[in-house]
Amino acid sequence: MRLFVQAVILGLLAGGVYALMASGLTLAFGIMRVINVAQGVMIILGAYVSYTLFTHFGVDPFLSVLFVVPVVFVLGVVIELVFIRPLRPSEREELSLLVTWAVALGIEGVLGLVYSTTYRSTIPSYANAAWRIGGFAVLQVQVYAFGLSVVILAVLGVVLAKTRFGRAVRGTVQNPASAALLGVDERKVAAIGFGLSVATAAAAGAVYGVVTPFNPGSHYDLISLLLTIIVLGGMGSLPGTVVAAVLMGVSQALLATYISPTSAKLTFFILLIGILVVRPQGLFGAVERGKL
Amino acid sequence: MDVVLSIRGLFAGYDRGDILRGVDLDVERGGVTCVIGPNGAGKSTVLKVVSGLLRPRAGDVALDGERISGRSARQILDHGVVHVPQERSLFPSMSVWDNVLMGGYVLSRAALRRRIDEIVSRFPIVRERRRERAGSLSGGEQKLVEIARAMILEPRVVLMDEPSMGLDPKARRVVFATIRQLNDAGATVLLVEQNARSGLEIAGRGAVMETGAVRLEGVARDLLDNPEVARLYLGSAARSLGDRG
Ligand SMILES: Nc1ncnc2c1ncn2[C@@H]1O[C@H](COP(=O)(O)OP(=O)(O)OP(=O)(O)O)[C@@H](O)[C@H]1O
Ligand SMILES: [Mg+2]
Repeated sequence: MRLFVQAVILGLLAGGVYALMASGLTLAFGIMRVINVAQGVMIILGAYVSYTLFTHFGVDPFLSVLFVVPVVFVLGVVIELVFIRPLRPSEREELSLLVTWAVALGIEGVLGLVYSTTYRSTIPSYANAAWRIGGFAVLQVQVYAFGLSVVILAVLGVVLAKTRFGRAVRGTVQNPASAALLGVDERKVAAIGFGLSVATAAAAGAVYGVVTPFNPGSHYDLISLLLTIIVLGGMGSLPGTVVAAVLMGVSQALLATYISPTSAKLTFFILLIGILVVRPQGLFGAVERGKL
Repeated sequence: MDVVLSIRGLFAGYDRGDILRGVDLDVERGGVTCVIGPNGAGKSTVLKVVSGLLRPRAGDVALDGERISGRSARQILDHGVVHVPQERSLFPSMSVWDNVLMGGYVLSRAALRRRIDEIVSRFPIVRERRRERAGSLSGGEQKLVEIARAMILEPRVVLMDEPSMGLDPKARRVVFATIRQLNDAGATVLLVEQNARSGLEIAGRGAVMETGAVRLEGVARDLLDNPEVARLYLGSAARSLGDRG
């Protein structure tokens, strides 16, 4: 039982970070019908930037988020303008897979040249500090990473729910033709939305490197995980994505505890196949158009 | 006749071929102009060209003498032409209130606040159902919210594409009465309707479209009394009774 509770706590903490990583994918898919398979590499990019700021300038990885987010936001806008916008709407959904995969491999290659394929890890002084709560040990960095994810997700949620830009995004997701008729510039929403979607992933990446060792190829594992989460969450539903991410974190932790850490890597595979057989529309039964 | 919107020699279509083949139509300022005609005649296509969703291959659309054809949908919106399309156009998972706010997307914050007060007083449904998801409203209620949303911008011309489509007779009457009221309050409406009789009855002028062109144009009353229009579009007694609910 102790083991079980410990695993669930770890899983919840990891799931919160997964939720931040995956919500950007959902956002981009909702707005543009683009499945951005470069999302994993954006996380790794965030991890490397944060790693570099820490090892060269002693910047705390949680502070480096303030630098990573705007930089990757701009990169995301550029990727949208250069690689995604030229695709014709009718073929965008399919071709964007290829295009963003090419972007992912390109960035992976550059990271390999700069940092080699050695595994890295950002290790601040408190990296191994733990809290004991009721006999359970929790690493402080994991709690901080979880807290940061919750804060960023909450900000994203408020922006979507309460601001003019948020209404434009939701409108574009729910009925693009109608949004355009009311004067929403779909291209602007797409560029900013894509920038936001990768910037949030990179923010997660900045702290991911503190918790987990990574190298340029780590994005393969991450993108499989994230794709499973958004399919599970019902493609295009943000609440669905969050729940699926937490579910994923917890099942991984349980498998790692009771069977083996390697089997945990297969979690996404097992969950994905299970879900596709039982509920092909995902846990939250998303309809044709999202409900962001 | 004081013409606010004038369409001349319009040719337009989609991927292949022209759907519109020389459309001429005038919209009277402050009036309701009702376009009727069979399915596929090109009625919606005319509205799409006017609102800038579709670029014409030839011809002109002028608003108070200024050419607006060929401009972007956003520019045409800024000129005060608002399009309520044939399909349902609310954002189904947004609240009624957020939907109406979206109608004023192009307005400044101050202008939006001012306009929304007026809309709320004119369309009580916006206040009564403000927190509900737009998609949970009935078809008739959704149409009223769509019309309310369109009026936020105080449009010079409202394009309404078959607002009564798919509604039960009671909801239809409410929609037609609402259009009447808007018009009494000064709005100019270009209305496309399958319920030809109901449409022409609230209109000052009417036009009949067939295969991409306007075949007949004139005072709505005269079209209602025209035996050929009656035979082709006003249907049998039973159907017109159905139309009127
Ligand atoms: N997006 C589109 N792409 C290709 N063809 C279209 C498109 N929309 C309409 N059409 C075609 O253009 C023609 C005219 O369509 P339009 O919608 O203007 O007719 P309508 O008079 O509004 O008919 P209805 O009364 O059924 O609404 C039809 O033959 C239709 O099939
Ligand atoms: Mg039509």
